[in-house]
Amino acid sequence: MTKHQGLGALDRRSFLARVALGGAALTAGLPARALLAAGKAPDKINVAFFVETKPTMIAKGEGWFEKLSGGKINWSEVGSGAEINTAITAGSVDIGLAIGSSPTAAGIAQGLPYQLIGMVDNIGPAEEMVVRKSANIKSPADFKGKKVATAFGSTSHFRVLGFLKTNGLTEKDVTVLDLKPDAAVAAWSRGDIDAGYYWSPAKAKMLEGGGDYFPTSKKLDAAGYVIADLIVCRTAFSKEYPDAVTGFLRAYRDALAMFKTKPADAAAIVAKQAGVAPEVAKRDMDEYDFVTFERQLTEDWLGPPGKAGKFASVLKSTADFLVTQKSIRTAPGLEVFQQAINTTFMAQAAKA
Amino acid sequence: MSAPFESSGREDAALGPRGTALTAGRLWRWLGDFRITLASLGILLFLWCVLTVGGLVNELFLPGPALLWDGVLDLIENGYRSRTIWEHAGLSLERVLAGFGTGAVAGTLLGLAMGASRQIEAFFSPLVEFFRPLPQLAYLVLLVVWFGIEETAQIILLFLTALPVSAIAARDGVRSVSLQRLQAARSLGASQWQVFRHVVFPSALPEIFTGARLAIGVVYATLIAAEIIAGSTGLGWMILDAGRFLRSDYVFAGIIAIGIAGLLLDRLLLIIERRIVHWAGKD
Repeated sequence: MTKHQGLGALDRRSFLARVALGGAALTAGLPARALLAAGKAPDKINVAFFVETKPTMIAKGEGWFEKLSGGKINWSEVGSGAEINTAITAGSVDIGLAIGSSPTAAGIAQGLPYQLIGMVDNIGPAEEMVVRKSANIKSPADFKGKKVATAFGSTSHFRVLGFLKTNGLTEKDVTVLDLKPDAAVAAWSRGDIDAGYYWSPAKAKMLEGGGDYFPTSKKLDAAGYVIADLIVCRTAFSKEYPDAVTGFLRAYRDALAMFKTKPADAAAIVAKQAGVAPEVAKRDMDEYDFVTFERQLTEDWLGPPGKAGKFASVLKSTADFLVTQKSIRTAPGLEVFQQAINTTFMAQAAKA
Repeated sequence: MSAPFESSGREDAALGPRGTALTAGRLWRWLGDFRITLASLGILLFLWCVLTVGGLVNELFLPGPALLWDGVLDLIENGYRSRTIWEHAGLSLERVLAGFGTGAVAGTLLGLAMGASRQIEAFFSPLVEFFRPLPQLAYLVLLVVWFGIEETAQIILLFLTALPVSAIAARDGVRSVSLQRLQAARSLGASQWQVFRHVVFPSALPEIFTGARLAIGVVYATLIAAEIIAGSTGLGWMILDAGRFLRSDYVFAGIIAIGIAGLLLDRLLLIIERRIVHWAGKD
């Protein structure tokens, strides 16, 4: 904030002109903070995040989010996407970092006041079914009478329900238990559950504790049960502070670049942030597909500004499925999901 | 809501046992303070309608009457997550009764012993006093690790909630027995056991009942925490799960169901209390 106030003394217009002429010098790092001073910078940005092993943690740990968005960030840790939905609706969170696609689809369907401004990862096999070796589960039919734990409302839960549905099973055949990851690990170690659908570290711990993968992700992705982690932003906030939002995404883009070019350094930073060993951070991150901004901006994912890509259909089908599960009341048409995707900030962030 | 129960005895007499004609005026008088209760409910209902019908409040925060009604009907017809609403309610009630029943009985026995003997009290009071204010969520994960995710962990949690409340009430009840009565009983030659059986225990009963009503209150409040452990069943879990997707119609329906059931349980205890300790407060 001090720099911002300092700039007030300058004639803003001539400053802007110089900035525009500055061109290359600017990208070389004359800091985005100065750039942002041109627009309005927020005093405070309330960001909800998960403690997890992802490149987003690089930008958080290194302070890039604050530097490039130009606002003091008030971080609040959450345990589920549902909490982000509630907090954004209440206006106490501006940006939700790495919220799952199923809570996002639900939120858009319910008309929550936010937009999807970017994607962190395509989850793919990073969330997967782990079965206890001794439970002798070899085929989907073997799940009958077994206990499967997952965190309800999460992307993993969405996959479990998709798995049951695509295999002609119901919740009468398979007992699906609602357990938070830490409770699931405890239940797993006691032998109370036969299978669990989670992400790491819970997934890794189950694999270590006598578990085997029961691969479902490829088939489910093909059947339309794609799951992803996303970045959502309160619409009123992005309208008021577009530059801060762009800067925020730029920070993540830089983190992503570091993750791809210097994986070892990246893993070390992420590990410190998440409180795990660097090898664990590296292994976890290798499971996710962290989609580059360039790819996100294509038709295959979010699409270029004003022309929502295929991901809108993923959100739509996710929401439709949630309606059949009675998690949400109704789902609007595809166009609502298309309109909820706003990649203008991402396109800006990808440029400079 | 207490008026009909409290006033029924007195006002029934006024109505007359021979079936005096029931006019609107009589009904109005018979309602007594219950009129104020009705007014309070009416105001609440009115505010609810004003806020929701005009779309003043987002339906995600507060569903309107029509929406809530649909939600209730839907829950009754189709259930929630592959179980009927009655199954969920039944499971919750079972847990509450099992946890409360065991906890209140054990707590009362412990409290009576603590009240009767300084040594027993010295032995147990640190435990009881420690457990009573402890937030249940603090040891939830431990219970899962020790007892698993089945009913056991949940019932133990509710047991541990009810026990200290009942124990302390019973202990205080024993303590509050008047010295004159004890001395009177002893001077008439009553044995230790007779004193306890005929003087101490009856005198402590009103407090024991108050403790039981307090205990069922906290057990009820802990129910949601208990159902978070193993999930997928119970009214508490249903509220929690529906809240994840801001299904406020189910959330409100669940809250109303839990509220009414809680009120009925409390009334039931009150009726039993009136039957057994009808002399309370009439010394």
